[in-house]
Amino acid sequence: MSIQILQGTLDLMVLRTLATMGPQHAYGIASRLQQVSNDALNLNQGTIYPALVRIEQRGWTRGSWGQTENGREAKYYAITRAGLKALDEETERWRQMSSVVEKLLAEEQ
Amino acid sequence: MVRLRRTVAKLRNLLANKHAEEDLAREVASHLALLADDFELRGMSAEEARLAALRALGGVEQAKQAHRNERSLLWIEQAMQDLRYGLRTLSKSPGFTITAVLTLAVGIGACTAIFSLVNAVLIRSLPYGDSSRLVYLYTPNPQFKLPAEVFGPTYADFYDLKRESHSFQDITAFDQSIFSLASPGTAERISAARVDGDFFRTFQSSPELGREINPDDNQLGHEKVAVISHALWQSTFGSAADVLHRSLLLDGRSYEIIGVMPQGFEYPHNTDLVYGQSQYKTTQVWIPLALTPQQMADRENSRGNAVARLKPEVSIFQAQAEMATIMARLNKLHDPKVQGWGALIENFVDSAVGHVRSLLWILLGAVSIVLLIACSNAANLLLARAAGRMRELGVRVALGAGRSRIVRQLITEALLIGLAAGAIGFAFAYLFLRILPLFNPGNIPRLNEASLDMRVLVFTIAVSLLTSAFTGVFPALAVSRVNLTDFLTTTGSRSVAGAHNRVQSALIVVESALVLVLLASAGLLIRSYVNVEAVDTGFSKSTVTLNLGLDARYSQPQAVQFFRNLFARLQALPGVETVGGVSSLPLSNSEDLRMFAVDGYPNQKGQLAEMRWATPNYFSAMRIPLIAGRLFTAEERSGAHAIIINQSFYTKYFHGRNPIGGRISRQDDPGQWSTVVGVIGDVRHNSLEEPAEPQIYHPDMEFGGGYIAVRSSLPAKSLAGSIRTVLHSLDPNLAAGDIQTMGDLELEASAQRRFQTSLLALFAAIALSLALVGLYGLMAYSVSRRTREIGIRMALGAQRGDVLWLVLKKAAFLLAIGLASGLVASWFATRVIQALLFGVGRHDPITILSVCALLAVSGLLAAMIPTRRAASIDPMQTLRTE
Repeated sequence: MSIQILQGTLDLMVLRTLATMGPQHAYGIASRLQQVSNDALNLNQGTIYPALVRIEQRGWTRGSWGQTENGREAKYYAITRAGLKALDEETERWRQMSSVVEKLLAEEQ
Repeated sequence: MVRLRRTVAKLRNLLANKHAEEDLAREVASHLALLADDFELRGMSAEEARLAALRALGGVEQAKQAHRNERSLLWIEQAMQDLRYGLRTLSKSPGFTITAVLTLAVGIGACTAIFSLVNAVLIRSLPYGDSSRLVYLYTPNPQFKLPAEVFGPTYADFYDLKRESHSFQDITAFDQSIFSLASPGTAERISAARVDGDFFRTFQSSPELGREINPDDNQLGHEKVAVISHALWQSTFGSAADVLHRSLLLDGRSYEIIGVMPQGFEYPHNTDLVYGQSQYKTTQVWIPLALTPQQMADRENSRGNAVARLKPEVSIFQAQAEMATIMARLNKLHDPKVQGWGALIENFVDSAVGHVRSLLWILLGAVSIVLLIACSNAANLLLARAAGRMRELGVRVALGAGRSRIVRQLITEALLIGLAAGAIGFAFAYLFLRILPLFNPGNIPRLNEASLDMRVLVFTIAVSLLTSAFTGVFPALAVSRVNLTDFLTTTGSRSVAGAHNRVQSALIVVESALVLVLLASAGLLIRSYVNVEAVDTGFSKSTVTLNLGLDARYSQPQAVQFFRNLFARLQALPGVETVGGVSSLPLSNSEDLRMFAVDGYPNQKGQLAEMRWATPNYFSAMRIPLIAGRLFTAEERSGAHAIIINQSFYTKYFHGRNPIGGRISRQDDPGQWSTVVGVIGDVRHNSLEEPAEPQIYHPDMEFGGGYIAVRSSLPAKSLAGSIRTVLHSLDPNLAAGDIQTMGDLELEASAQRRFQTSLLALFAAIALSLALVGLYGLMAYSVSRRTREIGIRMALGAQRGDVLWLVLKKAAFLLAIGLASGLVASWFATRVIQALLFGVGRHDPITILSVCALLAVSGLLAAMIPTRRAASIDPMQTLRTE
């Protein structure tokens, strides 16, 4: 099953990933999301780039070049203090939102 | 806050785009490498892993584009991309770019130049407060078959109007005088206004130095004060700060300078008053009108100019209605023999510029046509180029460029061309304004103030943008209508070219039609000009004339003596044949109309003739021919009862009778009969274009000032020098006005006609050459596209002549349609210039046929050049290259 991602949700997931795993490159983030979702989020991995740009331009992450264990160079994104704060806010907003949606769906049944 | 931060980041990206691009490329490459590594770990070969990685990423370019779209202000970035790309492609084909830019620059330049004229003359406001509230007052009388503007109110009427009306905030009366202004060593003639105490207040203008003329200055005994113009302050007083209270010598009388008006206030100009003085362009001195009680009570013979400012809430119609009521009462106070004095209020601004408004709009219309032609030329060029670029554009579409993006690209290029043309056109307009004063016909107010101000700049930019939109929309439409990827197949480009070929042909047809309209108008004006030049004026061009009046230092007998001496001295100059004097000279804008009665003729009320006083030699000095009877002799006595009439007078009032011995009396001297002794030829007096009016000449044996006519075998210039020397030796303080030949006066009289004719002819010539260039371009393009077809035809046995005709046929066809529609358009369009025509109808077949022939022949010649190239195509060569 493949999931259509809600606008803004990807940003939240990327932030969550970075907060959990520490600095990570685009491929790492994409792989992680795929893994966590049991391949349901088999997004075209290129789709992650707009989200990365967006959150970096908001100052929620900072990018820097580094080396992987295999000696490949990659751009690592690290979550910033503002990013952590935004993560909390976004998480809260998501929870409210999903609970509202859940409630609504439950009542309708 | 976060949003602001993102915007800043986006803007930074715009500037540091190159860096961001490199970074992105690096990041995507690393992403692919990491993916491929993983796939390899799962047991794929290196090549399989690479391909799998590309698939997983889902399109490298799409990913990059998504990144770009997200990271920057998309539209600015794309616009800048288009701009860069546009500049690059334009600079790659300089021939095309230069042609397109110059074509449009000519059109935009012409438009800007004429608009700056319109701006200076019609749009820019006059420096008199809210000038739309200013009005002229007239008291016309239909008994005299004369224009209403001849009749300013008499002073008695004026002061009654001033007292009784409630429509005006301010109202002023003034008159004009010409003075000799004496300064040490020289003397010059200047135009002055004699104004009442409300003049400056009515015009809401005050001096930059000192004070204006007030009602106290108009009290008799206090009137020897003067306000001078900024120009006079500069030229005569060197802008001295202590100019106030110095004295000004006008006609030998001293006036105390009390004020200096700011630059730009030189009212009345010679173009302001329809029947004012017209020798001097501007007014340099204002002095009090200072009327005596008798003058103020004069209801018959005094005539001033009256200007008023309407109260804010009063419309011109209300004021008119009120004035009519007052005049209806005042009319009864007039001489019972001549009644019928009415009221007329005219808008001040309309009077000042009304006579040139239509001319300026016509010129603006003409340059708009030039611009339209330039635009269609440029559009045609762009279309031809777009056709040549279809394959390039097709490739771009295949690579993922959206159609809207391609259209935007084409419009960006048109915009670049339009703006470049605007800049060059602005420079053209600047040059044009530099040479414009050379054409100045002298009767277009503030023509020399035409300049490129902010409003003109905005106009030019707007025109450039419009032009770009117009020229860019055709190729953009053409591109959006066809399937661009078709052009990637070799044959595709041939099958679809037909569509915009039709647009190109239509543009050529429109161009030729527009050109024909301009050519017809210019042709008609040129014929009118030739007709005016051919007018028999009735006098000799080479007679040298001057105007001379003596100031108050001379008593009447002294003045007569002075002129006797002067005439004798001039007569004695070697080469001089005759010297004569007259009260009103033809084409000098001087006039003296009087009522009269002819014995034995059913005289009408208010019939007028041009009345002249002339010395016996005047007619031979001017070479005005004697038709019957005799001229005045030296034995004639002034005030004696011999008179001479002109041909028109004879035809009108002595029809079928012998005029010699006929009797005529003047209305202002009733019962005193004069006898006609001779009939002379007609002369054109008011203008070259109006037929002669009836004239009566009285002998003037005591000439005391007026116009002097000198006939000699000398060159005019050296004679003028001798005349000045003689004058100076007689009285060094005397200023003679311009010394001109009658030919000079004729030139002045035809100046406006020359102005409009040469400008319209110039625009027509530009339009014609633009259209020819356009036709040539289209033919060259179509020949280059049909090279293969022509090659095949020739290989199959077509002759040179057949090929020539094949190609030329199209040009001939387009021209024929263009001519036909142009003829229809001209039929209606020439109505606009009807009023400017002289001696030629607006459908004059000779003119229309000749301009048609001109357009047809030159059009075919322009088409011939590329056609000949087509006919010399080597069939084998073309078949091989394809």
